Amino acid sequence: MTAPKPLAGADLCVHCGFCTQACPTYLTLDDENDSPRGRIVLMKAIADGSLAVADPAAALHLDQCLGCRACETACPSGVPYGHLLEETRAKMVERRPLSLPTRVLLYVFATPTLAAAFFSAGRALRALGLAALLSRLPGRIGIMMATLAVSHRARARDYRPRAGTPSREDVAVLQGCVMEGLLAPVNRATERTLAYNGYRIVSSPGQKCCGALHAHAGARDAARALARENIAAFEASGAAYVAVNSAGCGAAMKEYDHLLADDEEWSARARTFASRVRDVSELLAAAGPIQAAGQPRKLAVDHPCHLQHAQRLTDPPAKLLAALRLTDAHDLPDASSCCGAAGLYSLENPGLSQRILAPKMASIAASGADCVATGNPGCMMHIGAGLLRAGSRVSVRHPVELLDEAYSREANV
Amino acid sequence: MDGHAGGPVMTGTSSLAAPRSVAELADIVRDARAAVQRLRVVAGGTWSDAGTPASRIRADATPVSLRELRGVVAYVPGDLTLTVRAGTTLAELDAICAEHNQWCTLTPWGGNHGTVGATFATATNGPLARALGRPRDIALGLEFVDGLATTVRGGGRVVKNVAGFDLTRLLVGSFGALGVITEVTVRLRARPAVDRTWIVACEPGAAADIRRGAITPLAVEPLSAASAAALNAEVGALLVRFAGNAALVSAAERMLRALGSLTECEASAWSLVRETNAPVRSIEQDALALPLARRIKERFDPAAILNPGVLGESA
Amino acid sequence: MDSNTRILADRLANIVGPRHVKTGASELLVYENDGLPGYHKRPRLFVAPGNREEAIAVVQALAAANAPWVARGAGTGLSGGSLADGVVMIGMQRMRRILAIDPEARSATVEPGVVNVSLTKAATPFGLHYAPDPSSQAACTIGGNVAENAGGPHCLKYGVTLNHVLAATVVLPDGELLELRTPDADAVGFDLLGAFVGSEGCFGLAVDITVRLTPNPERICTMLADFTTVDGAADAVSTIIAAGIVPAALELVDAGTIAAVEASIYAAGYPTDAAACLLVEVDGPAAGLDDDVAEITRHCTAAGARSVKTATDAAARAKLWQGRKKAFGAMGRVAPTLAVQDAVVPRTRLAPVLREVARIAEKHGIRVCNVFHAGDGNLHPNIPYNGHDSAEAARVHAACDEIMAACIAEGGSITGEHGVGLDKLPYMEDLFTPDSLDAMCRLRDAWDPARRANPGKVVPVHRCREWMATPAARS
Repeated sequence: MTAPKPLAGADLCVHCGFCTQACPTYLTLDDENDSPRGRIVLMKAIADGSLAVADPAAALHLDQCLGCRACETACPSGVPYGHLLEETRAKMVERRPLSLPTRVLLYVFATPTLAAAFFSAGRALRALGLAALLSRLPGRIGIMMATLAVSHRARARDYRPRAGTPSREDVAVLQGCVMEGLLAPVNRATERTLAYNGYRIVSSPGQKCCGALHAHAGARDAARALARENIAAFEASGAAYVAVNSAGCGAAMKEYDHLLADDEEWSARARTFASRVRDVSELLAAAGPIQAAGQPRKLAVDHPCHLQHAQRLTDPPAKLLAALRLTDAHDLPDASSCCGAAGLYSLENPGLSQRILAPKMASIAASGADCVATGNPGCMMHIGAGLLRAGSRVSVRHPVELLDEAYSREANV
Repeated sequence: MDGHAGGPVMTGTSSLAAPRSVAELADIVRDARAAVQRLRVVAGGTWSDAGTPASRIRADATPVSLRELRGVVAYVPGDLTLTVRAGTTLAELDAICAEHNQWCTLTPWGGNHGTVGATFATATNGPLARALGRPRDIALGLEFVDGLATTVRGGGRVVKNVAGFDLTRLLVGSFGALGVITEVTVRLRARPAVDRTWIVACEPGAAADIRRGAITPLAVEPLSAASAAALNAEVGALLVRFAGNAALVSAAERMLRALGSLTECEASAWSLVRETNAPVRSIEQDALALPLARRIKERFDPAAILNPGVLGESA
Repeated sequence: MDSNTRILADRLANIVGPRHVKTGASELLVYENDGLPGYHKRPRLFVAPGNREEAIAVVQALAAANAPWVARGAGTGLSGGSLADGVVMIGMQRMRRILAIDPEARSATVEPGVVNVSLTKAATPFGLHYAPDPSSQAACTIGGNVAENAGGPHCLKYGVTLNHVLAATVVLPDGELLELRTPDADAVGFDLLGAFVGSEGCFGLAVDITVRLTPNPERICTMLADFTTVDGAADAVSTIIAAGIVPAALELVDAGTIAAVEASIYAAGYPTDAAACLLVEVDGPAAGLDDDVAEITRHCTAAGARSVKTATDAAARAKLWQGRKKAFGAMGRVAPTLAVQDAVVPRTRLAPVLREVARIAEKHGIRVCNVFHAGDGNLHPNIPYNGHDSAEAARVHAACDEIMAACIAEGGSITGEHGVGLDKLPYMEDLFTPDSLDAMCRLRDAWDPARRANPGKVVPVHRCREWMATPAARS
């Protein structure tokens, strides 16, 4: 078997430029080097050797990419931009190590004991009110603390499926690193809403962080190691589906086949595994889902990039939200563009990340809604932090949390 | 009187040259350039009273008539394009198109005895301009002889064309100062299935409402005293024209009825209105753009022999 | 970088800020291309002014340095018109403010970098839109549209860019500022605006543009007619036009294009076994529209259409259009390089010309995907090929020459809406006489005597005779 040509998918690009207006960094920075078309040109030049891997200008523009993949849904040629970026970043990491804080964070996320300690420290800060207090600090610390502060959730009441609900497949739920560490109530809400709609939740011991952040950063070996452990853990659970409530994790796990394509031992297992990964909204939509009683409430909806652009899911999330039967639920006018969270991006490029968030803040304020729904932990916390720091009282919730609350109200009356 | 492209034929010029071919015209221009003899293009007769700047063209310049350069060069009705020589009158153009149930929507102010060349050279609009385009929108391409006596073609014979710099737009409305238009290709339209005209007795302000209504009229014209008298209508009544399929025009008629009483009339009312309702034009080159206009003039007519006076230049 | 370029870059950086001047090889890479793959021209440097004052100052600084330049909007052009071969590139993408919308006058004033579709979005609350809609409208700019006199599917009924531009403020290449207006009731003399629109950046740089906004139609109906022969589809086009119906758009998509589109994420549900489909749209007042739809359906059926589907709701219509609008990009799925033609032929000659194009393609063993504005006779034979294969590239080149020759022989034009730029330059001499080309050079020289703006484009340089004023002319 011949090795695939480096950056093979880049040849699909005919330079039409349709992607440029979909790119948040291009629209913020006004430099075509910070557009998908510009970055593809840089990546091609790096791949064919005409540009040094360590070219500082190229590195800057590629580092500034959010990896939101909005360009992919704007691209008529089907350029696999996300894959090109991961491949190039992996190549760049060989020559230019990641920053120390990034390496530390990635190592912590990949190591369950360290992650547990890290997140319990975070929860302690949050519980003591220090996070909220420090969120007023300017700069990176303030943003991090605000992000932590808004992750707090009250414990929800438990409820049981209604009698006569048809039983569905066995489902294992990805617990995730950040989700279980800081937003555990969202995981419980995921399990309850799935169970309420007939799925049987099975446990899958041994599952880990999905490795999305590692792959995005170019740390492919670490990402592959995590992928193998997750594949093994979920295979052992015997579940028909792996339910994911984090759009970023779901996108990464659906692409484990791509990540492990060159791994002879694991490629076939990765393909089977990837075909079983579902966003929680897909499973709920397949089951109906059971409609809530409805509520007079104004909700603004934002679509996580890795749900709409990477996983290309639009109908299932819409069905999930429709099941809430709210009087007034509308997509934000810029729901198709990134909020600027983008994994570790908000910490590595805080200035740019905040500039990209700014129009989203404005459209949330203009919407008049008291709550924003978005199905990804990064987006929830980033948008939430922005609102907190702006003194807004608008909350940010995961759609399954809202559905869970509605089911809980009805089941407990 | 109001002078327009289609104004009456002026007589009384002594040494009138009337070339029978473009080559002959080029020879005349070449000789004139060598002798620095000024020429005045007179198309079918004269449009020199089509308001300024036409009226400013030096009367002592030697007239060159295009009346011998007339007739169809190419006409494929299915393409809805027609190429005619500049001396062809609007009446002749109408007759040619009518045979195929088509029309050229130039219909400028003035009469149908004016020529195609003059209409484009003066960019004379008519009542249909707002709905169906002005001369600059109708010309697809043209041929002209410039002040260097070279024969130049701009544009083409197809309905969409961006090849090269737009000499067509440059010549349309240049009042013969850059070159003598010898041939024009125009965009034609199929005659609408239904085409009706009414006199609407209503507030003069209703014209704007009709123009901005859901159904776009082909033309709306408040009647001047002269037009009103000729049509037996009140001064200030509106002459309104709608065209399209039967259902559309009926809907338009219902809409008009709500505005005032209607009297339907023949489409020929428009010929009358074109003769009697014409606005007086006074066209001055934008002062800021004058240096550029002069530079263009210098490059197309370096000896300044074509229609001298158009740019307000002194003798 | 030579020292003159360094000095110039510093001077420009003082005007626009250092972040908006690019001189490094890696950052200039993306500016080596426009929307037409296959050409690579390295600009001398790149500068992006952020507002009108900066743009004027940049042009004036370049005039002072006698440095030639090329303006570029979104770089979506398909003729190589915005390529800067060793000269300065002025990027207009930062100037994307909509300065004013006047719903009463139905006009808008915009900076040239405003993206076509964003103007329509901004006009939507007033029930208005900007009518010219090139297929790249999601990315291309109004400034670029003005430079190219851009068209689009709906130009069949509503007219091209020229018919929608009301005024422009232009910096001439020598730094002089000019307000151009469309000659209307109060005409302004020579139609300088008419000459400027479509001058492909060779006459000056627009710093603001006022355009007409068009009221949204009361009702829109989109039809998809499916034919088993290309001839049938072409004949239907002729009969519809001849019948006097002016559809808002009348587009033809052939089997090769359908295959590419249906394989893309923009799959529009075009029948993959059809030889050609016509996409026909009628719009306007609700009254009478159904009659037009019925008549068009009759014409299509009479010309051999297997079926005519109609869509009136926005989502279904958008889906039908999606396939057409993204067709060009979808060609990337077929092969990495794409030759795009833009010839125009008389509408009655569509069928024979399409047969001739197919014959030429077969002869050279290349693949032609047709997707075009049939109602205008504006062909877009797209030829996807592998640019790395020099033998194939040579065959494509030969085929393009023959296709152009065939269109010119039918009385057509070499470009209907993409512009001449660099790509169509060799064909200009087949279309125009030396005298006509020289007249174009003279017009350009009146605007830009130093030939500083977009040098080497539109008219082959060797066709410009140096005009010298005779002593008689000066006296």
